[in-house]
Amino acid sequence: MTKTSSRNTLVRRLLRRNISAGQLIGFALANLVGLSIVLVAMQFYRDVTAVWSDDDSFISRDFMIISRHVSGINFNDRGSTTFSNTDIAEIESQPWARRVGRFTAAGFNVYASLEMGGSGIGTALFLESIPSSFFDDLPGGWNFTPGQNKPLPVIISKDYLTLYNFGFASSRGLPQISEKMIGMVPLKLSVSGNGVQQYIDARVVGFSSRLNTIAVPEEFMTWANSRFAEPGKTADPSRLIIELSTPGDPAATAFMESHNYEVAGDRIDNSRAAFFLGLVTSVVIVVGIVISLLAFFILLLSIYLLLQKNRKKIHELMQLGYLPSDISRHYNLLVLTVNAAVLVIAAAGVTFCAGLWQQPLASIGVSGSPVWPTILVGACIIGAITAGSVVAINRRVKSVFRL
Amino acid sequence: MINSITIENTLPAVFAGSESEPPVSTSCVWLKNLTFSRPDYYMIEAESGTGKSSLCSFIYGSRLDYSGRILFDNEDTRTFSIDRWSAIRREAIAYLPQEMMLFPELTVLENIAIKNKLTNYKSDSEIDRMLQMLEIDNKRNTPARLLSVGQQQRVAIIRSLCQPFDFLIVDEPVSHLDARNNSVVAALIDSEASARGAAVIATSVGNKISLPNLNILTL
Repeated sequence: MTKTSSRNTLVRRLLRRNISAGQLIGFALANLVGLSIVLVAMQFYRDVTAVWSDDDSFISRDFMIISRHVSGINFNDRGSTTFSNTDIAEIESQPWARRVGRFTAAGFNVYASLEMGGSGIGTALFLESIPSSFFDDLPGGWNFTPGQNKPLPVIISKDYLTLYNFGFASSRGLPQISEKMIGMVPLKLSVSGNGVQQYIDARVVGFSSRLNTIAVPEEFMTWANSRFAEPGKTADPSRLIIELSTPGDPAATAFMESHNYEVAGDRIDNSRAAFFLGLVTSVVIVVGIVISLLAFFILLLSIYLLLQKNRKKIHELMQLGYLPSDISRHYNLLVLTVNAAVLVIAAAGVTFCAGLWQQPLASIGVSGSPVWPTILVGACIIGAITAGSVVAINRRVKSVFRL
Repeated sequence: MINSITIENTLPAVFAGSESEPPVSTSCVWLKNLTFSRPDYYMIEAESGTGKSSLCSFIYGSRLDYSGRILFDNEDTRTFSIDRWSAIRREAIAYLPQEMMLFPELTVLENIAIKNKLTNYKSDSEIDRMLQMLEIDNKRNTPARLLSVGQQQRVAIIRSLCQPFDFLIVDEPVSHLDARNNSVVAALIDSEASARGAAVIATSVGNKISLPNLNILTL
């Protein structure tokens, strides 16, 4: 053991002779800059797109919710903002529409009250329902059986919570509430109409950014409409949900435009922003990769120069019976050490930077992505650079076996 | 274990085309069949420029610029892998190159250790005894670059003995040594080689190592 180690010490002393600290530091810095740019851009992209890709668990992107364009104030001409059976049949006949579901509006009055720490808030409310089959993933307990003492599940639009938290609560000095918290607060609905009134316990079971409404199970709507709505007052739906054969089909968008239908929760703006963000990120990442590649070439050149300077010694060591691997090991270890240091520093850098923007993001309700996948990508890049260097070193050393 | 080294119709690439002219036409090595066997001693006498050091390099596997074949126990050495050559250099063939190849920044002891720690062959006291025998024990901690050529030659000889071998190739081992040192070196090499039952192939352009029972060949 001691013999081996002192032999290695001697060989290391010989081989480390011409190592240029300047070149190694130059490589390490260049690679650090390149790798940091790649990783920070990647993490930023992942965190920011989490805002959009924070996708609805209930309603996926293959659905489109449409309504008619409202112009002026329509009091009497209700028909102009609803969809008739012929309208629906026309949409159903389109090749891009797999199926069409109707929003059923409540034909009765709803007043919701919320008790929180002794003080209560109440508001008039509206309810809608869509067929359960349009939910990708039904929230737990998404059903209603009349007479059962189970709270009525409700899904509300994320926008309402945002409106409350950042518009209402902050200006009125009311507490801001999180999604989790609101799910724990029991909601009391006062449902009335047709001369009947009833209190119903409800609970918010989820938030949707696609479903721009307050949704309840269809069973409840059918039951409540039959009980509280004036008979015969079943209006045409004012909104439709359409399942598309291909998500984001331009033909569907064109159809909506030509019929003057509005698409709710339209992600076009978002996708445009996402597109530009993606473009900018790609450019930044490419710049980072180019810097990393250049750094890799600095490393290779520096190693080649070092091996060239030590060529005679390396040859003589192999003349003595040393294996090429006995020699390349020392250089590989050097590269490995430098690269590991670069990776650790870059990982620390990206973690620090992510902390800088994740905090403000968290305050607008966006949870950032974990840093470790980004660091893993960094480890892969460093691994590739190290592997490339190791292969180059081993080949170069072997080539000196015969001068 | 290598019992014989055969030079078969071998010619350095630089002599290609001048096969019918001296030194090739007068050589007992080039383009001939020649076998070195254990435990004999051989002396290859040569004039400068006849390819003496090239022959050593060909046998030692550090150069391949020759035609014909070099066989170790009937196996063509051209097919040997780098790993095989490295093993041969640690266990079967010891080589003292003419240029000695000492590392100038390492001391005498370190230059010997860098070989001996690879083979773990000689004990520290054995190395000490050899240093004393060749009268360079007082230089043990001197960097090799500060030694005279004759001193370097003796260090390189000791280093080449720090391994098991079946063949010892010494390229002009005594070119810078006086007669007294020549016989001391010869005695050391003789005792080391006979202890291993090994063959010695020595070269010389003038100053011949005074080994007994030399088979003299002219290159």
